[in-house]
Amino acid sequence: MASGAGPALAHRSVASIRSAPLQGPPGPSTPHTPNRNIASAYGSPSTIRADDDVVVLELGSRHIRAGFAGDSSPKATRQCGPEDQRRVGDFRSWQAPRRHAGLDWAPEHEFWRYDLRDVDLGLCQDNLERVVRDAFTKYLLIDSRPRRLGLVLDSAVPVPLLTAVLDTMFNRFQSPTISLMASSVTAAVSAGVRSALVIDLGWAETVVTSVYEYREVKCTRSVRGGRLLLDALYKTLHSLLRENNPDSDSDDDDDDDDDESRTISFDECDDILRRLMWCRPSASKSSQRESTQLETVEEQDESEAESLQDVLQVGVTNVPINSTNPPSTLEIPFEKLAEVCDDTFFDPSVEQATFDDHELPIHLLVYQHLLQLPLDVRAICMSRIIFTGGCSNILGLKQRIIDDLKAIVNKRGWAPVAGKGVDQLRNNPKLQRRPSGSPTGDGPTSPSEAGDDQETASRGAADTSHEHDPIEAKVARYREAPPQVHGQFRVLHSLGSWTGGSLLCQLKMPAMAIIDRDVWLQQGANGASRPSDIDVKAQQRQSVTTGGYARGGGGHHTNWTLGAWGYL
Amino acid sequence: MAPVIPYTYIQCPCSDNSAHDNANDTHSQDSVDDDERTFDPRAPRSNYSLYPLEYLLYCEDCQQIRCPRCVNEEVVTYYCPHCLFEVPSSNLRSEGNRCTRSCYQCPVCISPLQSMSMTPSQDPSHLNADGTASQAGTYALFCQYCNWSSSEIGIEFDRPSGIHAQLAKVKNGGEHKITAKEIKEKRKENPDEPPIPDEQLDADLQFSTLKSFYQTQLADTNTAVTGMQFDSVGFSSPAALSRIMSLYTGHGHPGRKRQGPSDVMREALTTEEGLKTVDLDESMAIKKLQQLGWDETASTQQNLEQTEVSRFQDGLRPIPYLLRTKRSKRCSVCRHIISKPENKVQSTRFKIRLVAKSYIPNITIRPLNPTAPPVPTTSRPQHPEEPSLEPLKPYHYIVTFKNPLFDSIKVTLATPNTTPGRFSSKVTVLCPQFEVDANTDMWDDALKDDGRDRRRKGEESNGQLEAGKIWERGRNWVSIVLEVVPASLRLNNQEPGADVDKSPLKEDEDVLEIPMFVRMEWEADSQQDVGAAPGKDRDGREKRELAYWCVLGVGRIHHD
Repeated sequence: MASGAGPALAHRSVASIRSAPLQGPPGPSTPHTPNRNIASAYGSPSTIRADDDVVVLELGSRHIRAGFAGDSSPKATRQCGPEDQRRVGDFRSWQAPRRHAGLDWAPEHEFWRYDLRDVDLGLCQDNLERVVRDAFTKYLLIDSRPRRLGLVLDSAVPVPLLTAVLDTMFNRFQSPTISLMASSVTAAVSAGVRSALVIDLGWAETVVTSVYEYREVKCTRSVRGGRLLLDALYKTLHSLLRENNPDSDSDDDDDDDDDESRTISFDECDDILRRLMWCRPSASKSSQRESTQLETVEEQDESEAESLQDVLQVGVTNVPINSTNPPSTLEIPFEKLAEVCDDTFFDPSVEQATFDDHELPIHLLVYQHLLQLPLDVRAICMSRIIFTGGCSNILGLKQRIIDDLKAIVNKRGWAPVAGKGVDQLRNNPKLQRRPSGSPTGDGPTSPSEAGDDQETASRGAADTSHEHDPIEAKVARYREAPPQVHGQFRVLHSLGSWTGGSLLCQLKMPAMAIIDRDVWLQQGANGASRPSDIDVKAQQRQSVTTGGYARGGGGHHTNWTLGAWGYL
Repeated sequence: MAPVIPYTYIQCPCSDNSAHDNANDTHSQDSVDDDERTFDPRAPRSNYSLYPLEYLLYCEDCQQIRCPRCVNEEVVTYYCPHCLFEVPSSNLRSEGNRCTRSCYQCPVCISPLQSMSMTPSQDPSHLNADGTASQAGTYALFCQYCNWSSSEIGIEFDRPSGIHAQLAKVKNGGEHKITAKEIKEKRKENPDEPPIPDEQLDADLQFSTLKSFYQTQLADTNTAVTGMQFDSVGFSSPAALSRIMSLYTGHGHPGRKRQGPSDVMREALTTEEGLKTVDLDESMAIKKLQQLGWDETASTQQNLEQTEVSRFQDGLRPIPYLLRTKRSKRCSVCRHIISKPENKVQSTRFKIRLVAKSYIPNITIRPLNPTAPPVPTTSRPQHPEEPSLEPLKPYHYIVTFKNPLFDSIKVTLATPNTTPGRFSSKVTVLCPQFEVDANTDMWDDALKDDGRDRRRKGEESNGQLEAGKIWERGRNWVSIVLEVVPASLRLNNQEPGADVDKSPLKEDEDVLEIPMFVRMEWEADSQQDVGAAPGKDRDGREKRELAYWCVLGVGRIHHD
C-alpha cells in the first residue's frame, strides 16, 4: 500500500497524510472502499476524526442515543414525537394550539414496537434516518463519511426490524461494518461485572434478563412498563380534572368519549410521570421498620417518621396544565401517584394466581426468573442486580422491588412449587423432616439454603473446613480468582447500555455479530447463519490479523451471524 | 402540510427510487404497475420525501434535484454560535462538541448566561456559614432572562473567564469533583486507604475507573495468552498440541501453582475498579419531592439538554454551547460540489450554491376568485386566509409556472382524476400542456416589440375557462386553471367495501392535496460543445428533460 500510494502523496493535503497511519495496518480491506479515498483526497478538516471513531448508537423504543466510542455519555439523546414526523419546512410544532392526541397515543412516540403486524417498516426507516441524521449533524458534528458503527439494541428485536435498521445504516449512512451488541450485556459491562440480572424497566415492557459470563441466559418479560403506567396515570389525571371543574367539563367529557381524544397531551402526562412519580415502600419493610422502632425508642425518628407519614397523607402538589382548554392548574395528591405506581407494577390487590404469564408484577417476575435459573447462575446473578430503563428512575421503585423480592424469598425460599398444599405441608410440624428447611428459620441473607439440601450441605462444609475439601483446595490452587460475591441480594449501578457499548467499542472487543456492508448488500438477512455455526476463534484470529476490530473485506468471511438476533 | 394554505411541495426523486427498489424486491409482479403508480401525498412516508422548493438543491452534472437526504456533506468549519470563534477540528476530539470558552446556556430557560461578579449586597459571611463556599467565590453565571444564577446551585467562580475549566472541577453545591487521576495519586501516597465510598463515585469517575480497569485486565489477559501458551489451558492458543495435552492432563505441571495473571478477565471488585452498589434508600428524595412539589423538579425538556439526568432543579448544570458547523454539500452520485459556504464564520455567503429554485419552475397556486379580503400592507407577511371549501362544489385555482431558465421550457402536467386517500376529490387540469418562455433579460423584453405577445394570443382564453387554453401568459410565466371538486368528509358516504376505514379523521386529512406530475423539456446549450464554432447553433443544442412529483395543497375541506 505504501509503495502504491507513494506518488499520490505529493498532492495530498496535510490532513490526509496525517490520517494515513491512522487507518490501521495495511489490511486488504482498507484501501478498498472508494468513498473514503476520494473523500480524504479532498482534505476536509474532519478527516482525522473519520477513520478511527466508532459511532455507537443505542436504539430504544422511545429514545435513540448516539455518540462516539470512548465517551462516558452519549452526545445526543433524541426522543421520538409526532412533531418530528412532519414535513420539512412545516413549523407548526412551534405554534399553539397543539392538537389533541387520539386514544391510542403511544405509537407516534415510539420508533418501533415488537408487534410488527401494523408497523410500516419503511416509515420506521425514514424516521430512523431522519433522527440519526439530525443527531449526527447537530450533536456529533460529523459529516457523511462512512463510519464504523456499534449498534446497541435489545436482543429480542425481530429480524425484519433489524433488517430495516441495518438497511438504513448501510444504504443511507454507508457504514463499512456494524457490530451488534445486546443492551443487557452492555449494561452489565458498564457496571463492571461479567454476570448480572438486568431488570430493564422500559417503556414497552419490563424485561428481566440474566447475563452469565457475558451471555444472555434467560429472558422473561412483563407488559408492566412505562406505557401501562402512563395510561394509568392519564386515567387518574383525567378523573382529577373532572372532579376539579365538573361544570365546564361536562360537555367536553361527552365530546371526549365521542372523539376519542385525550384532554391532556402526551408530553405533559409524560412530564408529570417523570417528575412526580414515586413508589411507596414495601408493606413488609414498613412493618419491619415499625417493629424495630418500637424496640429502640427514639423520639426523633418517630417524629420524623410521623411527619413523613403526614406528608404522605396530605401531600398535594399543584401542576400547571397547558394542554387543556383553558389552561388549568391541577392539584395532584401524592398518594394518588403512588397508587398508580403500585397498581401498575405490583397490583397488590389481586391474588397472585390470577396473573397471566405476560403481566406478572415485577417482583414476581424477577422471583420467577431467578427461580428458573440454574443454581449457580442464580447465586451469581442475584447479587448483581442492575436496574436500567426509564422507569427505574421512579423514586423508591427499586427498593420496593428488592424488598418485595426478599419478602417472597423469606416466605417461600427457592421452592419451585407454591400454593396452599405446600404451605400446609410446610406448616405441619409433624411432616417436617429438617428444621433448617423451614422458611422462617433462615435469615434473609441466605435464601438459597432453604431451597436445596445439597447446596446447604456443601456450603456448610465449605464454611467450616475449607482445607479438607480436596477438590476445592485443588481448584483454589490453580485459580487465584478472588471469591465472588454470591447468594445475597445486591444492586449494582450501571452506567447504562449506551456506555457499555461505548466501552466495548473503545476496547476493540470483537462483537459476536459483526456485519460487513458488502456482504449485507449481497446477501441480506438471509445470509446470516446460526450463531452456533460460527467459529468464533477463527473470527477472532482473523480480526487480529486484519487489524483489530475490522474484519477483512472481500471473500475472507464465509460465515457471519446476527448473533442473538436469530436467523432466517 | 405547511400552515399557510395554499402551498407547493416537491418530492425529491431519490426517495422515489428507493420506494421503487423496495417494491421490486418484495413483489416483482407489481413492477408493471409501478410506472402507473401515482404518488400519494397522504401516505405517512411521503412526509419524509416532500420538500419546499427552497430546501432543494440541484446537481448540474446529473441534471437532477438533490434533497438533504441525497447529498454528501463535508464539514468546512466548526464554530461556537455564541462567541463565533472557530474551533479547530483537533480540539473537537479532545474537548468534545461543546464550546470550551465561557459560553453557557441557562439550564432553566436556555438563554445565554453571563458571568458577573456577585452583588456586593450579598454577605460573604453568610456563604461561609453555609459551609458550601468557604473560599468565597466572587463571580457567578447569571441568566438575563429568568434571573437564574449559578449561586443557586452553589457554584461560584474565582475569575470571570475560563469558566469551563473552573466548572469542570466543581460539582453542584460547590463540592470538589474527584477525578481518576487524584485517586491514583492518593493510592500511590498511602496504599492502605480504603477505596472511596460509593456515593462519591459519579458517572464520569465510574466510567474512567471502569475503562482503566478493563484496559489493565485486557493487557493482563493478552500477556497470558501470548507469553504462557503452555501453561494456560489453551483457551485461545492455536497450537493444537497444547490443547490436546491439556485436555488429558489438566495442566502441564500439576504440582506447580500457576503464576501470572489468569486467562479470564475478572469482574470489578471495588469502587476504584468502577463497581458501584446502589443506595436503595430513596426516602430522602421522596421526602424532598413531596415538600418542594412540582416547581422544584426539573422538566423533561430541561433534562434532555443535560448530560446527566437530574430530578430536581438544583441538580441542573449550566449548558455549554453546542458547536455548529458549516458544511459543503456534494452530489452523492457524481460527487460534484453543489453547495459550499465561505470558510469565515462571520460570513453568510456561499462560494458555490446551486439551488433548485434557479433550475426548476416555481409553481404557485391561488384561488381564481379570492373571497378573503386582501391583507393591509401594514401587516403584510400575514397571508389571507381563505374560508374552507364546501364539499361537492367546484372551485377554480390559478396555477402559475415561472421559468427560471434562459431557455423556454415545455411543461406537461399529469394529475390523477381523483386524489388518493380516503376522501377522493375530483381534479381537472384545464390545460395540461404548454410552453413557458425563457427568462430573458428584463430590458431585452422591454426593448423588443410588443407584437410577440399578441402573436400567441390565440391559444389563450379571453378571461373564460376553456379547456386546452392557458389562462394568462407573461414574460417567463404561464398560468393555467385547475378545477377541483372537494369530496365530502362524511365517512358513511363512502362506498361499502371490505376494507373501509371508519376511523376518525386524522390530522390534516381534511386538507385537499393534489399530487401532480410535472415533466419539463427544454433545449439547452450542450456542455460538450462549448468550444465549437458558434455558427452551428442548431447542432450545439441538446434536449433535456426533468420530471418529478409535486403536491399542491389547495385548501381545507369544510367539516359537515
